[in-house]
Amino acid sequence: MAKSSEESPSRRTFMMVVIGLISTVIGIALAVPILGVVLNPLFRKRDIVWTKLGKISDLNLKPLDPKFVPVYFRVKEGWSVNTLPRQVVVVKQVNGDLLFFSNQCTHLGCPLHWIPARQKFLCPCHGGMFNITGQVVGGPPPRPLYQWVHKFGKDKDTVYIQNKFKDNPKDRGI
Amino acid sequence: MFKQIQNWFDERIGLTKVIEEFNGERIPRRGGWAYTLGSVLAFLFTVQVVTGIFLLFYYVPYFPIARNATYFIKHHVIFGNILLGIHLWGAFTMIFIILIHMARVYFSGAYKKPREMQWIVGMVLFSVVVVLGLTGYMLVGNENSWWTINVLDNVASHTPFIGGFLRIIVKGGTETSVLTMQHIFAVHVWLLPIVVIMFIPIHLFLIRKTGHQGMALEYKNSKLSDDDEKKWQHPDGTVPFFPDQFYKDMIVALGVFAVVYILAVYVGAPIGPMYRPLALNFAPEADWYFLANEELLKYFPGHGLIIFSTFLVPSIGFAILFALPFIDRTKERSPFKRPAATVLGILFLLLLVYLTLIGGEPKAPATV
Ligand code: HEM
Ligand code: FES
Repeated sequence: MAKSSEESPSRRTFMMVVIGLISTVIGIALAVPILGVVLNPLFRKRDIVWTKLGKISDLNLKPLDPKFVPVYFRVKEGWSVNTLPRQVVVVKQVNGDLLFFSNQCTHLGCPLHWIPARQKFLCPCHGGMFNITGQVVGGPPPRPLYQWVHKFGKDKDTVYIQNKFKDNPKDRGI
Repeated sequence: MFKQIQNWFDERIGLTKVIEEFNGERIPRRGGWAYTLGSVLAFLFTVQVVTGIFLLFYYVPYFPIARNATYFIKHHVIFGNILLGIHLWGAFTMIFIILIHMARVYFSGAYKKPREMQWIVGMVLFSVVVVLGLTGYMLVGNENSWWTINVLDNVASHTPFIGGFLRIIVKGGTETSVLTMQHIFAVHVWLLPIVVIMFIPIHLFLIRKTGHQGMALEYKNSKLSDDDEKKWQHPDGTVPFFPDQFYKDMIVALGVFAVVYILAVYVGAPIGPMYRPLALNFAPEADWYFLANEELLKYFPGHGLIIFSTFLVPSIGFAILFALPFIDRTKERSPFKRPAATVLGILFLLLLVYLTLIGGEPKAPATV
């Protein structure tokens, strides 16, 4: 019969080494698939789609009067196709240019309110403030409002929006 | 540095003593490999919990989605196939090894006084582990899941007196629906694992209190008679649990884990098609450990007899197994000196294997 750990110190050391090695092997073998599963989102590509916002002529835009228009992106997520409802804030500038803002504050993403009396977008969370061109005029937000990637249809009236912001290298928000 | 940390804890709670106390349990020396089975079960259960938690990062217990979520884990998540595979093959291996552990305890008479409670607690663990397997099978949301839920729920409905309530409670309603799956899910990931987590420590505590009996070959040198209970508390030789027994436990754990891993990677978990309640040509199949029971269900036709196969035979068999230490009160432990128990045990195992083998074959409907 093999010696017990009490009879032979070297046998004890040997057992300890084997126990350590096996624990390491099993630990690593389990950690690999777990890491794969946990880190998987880092390697996933976001599904980018176009969706129709509608005709500009139907919105009755007046300068300095933002319109909140909902859009519904149909994107593939995991095992299903989901609807992402999002707000597009359409603003007509005095010179006639159109801007398509996201209603998310660029500080930490709260939903902005348009306050007509003050001609400002106010953030209800930490007091961020933006003017009608999307520039920060108060509070903590670090950058101007996000603008949706958009394009016009053949009729030069219908607008399509992509679930993606311009100048947004880190893909924040959305 | 290490010494200082150790001292810090020792001054406060005497940690070294606690660890030495825990590690120093005396284990009978000769049959060490046979005593690794229990630890391997504890190890496999840990693996099930860990893999299960991470499967939950993706799984959705909602009938129309569950199967696709499982498919997504297997085919689109990095190493998801391995994780899912370990969970499935780990479960199968656990059920298989629990049967071997029970057989080892049975044939060595280790359930006898003063170890009756170990056996009872063990039976609780056994029942829970089997139900964990069955509920897991239902959660995949494939065709077999759907029909298994229906079949087992109908089996439950034949329980005398409370069958009707039982069926509705388990289903979360009168029909198989999304609520059914939600209930099964809660049972599989919360209720039953917590029962196991509570009962394993009780099992181990009891074993430490009564001492580990092991097998008759540990007591060859003892002068006491076989009828003397004291004999079975003093094996000829013992070794400390750590590192001697733990070393063997780890080697067996590694071997079992390697088998589970290889099966997980190369065979994987079959997912099968989406459930179709409308299917015209689908023959449901149970998992291998349920086939013996499945076979039983084929033998009792008609209204009067159905209760035999759904309730009486399984529950009487189960009750006998549960109460084994109180039915067999002889003092003898060696399998050779109690031939009746040994032969019965072998016959029971053979019957189980036979029923399992033929249980896989579908049977033409019986004519009454
Ligand atoms: C999750 C399931 C289980 C776990 C983790 C477990 C764990 C253990 C461990 C670690 C031991 C001590 C070492 C050994 O003999 O293997 C043990 C012994 C024992 N087990 Fe289990 N066991 C489980 C299920 C069962 C079942 C289903 C039964 C019987 C119905 C059972 C009955 C016993 C008995 C009577 C002993 C004492 C053996 C002796 O003193 O020699 N166990 N178990
Ligand atoms: S989120 Fe808008 S100010 Fe903080």
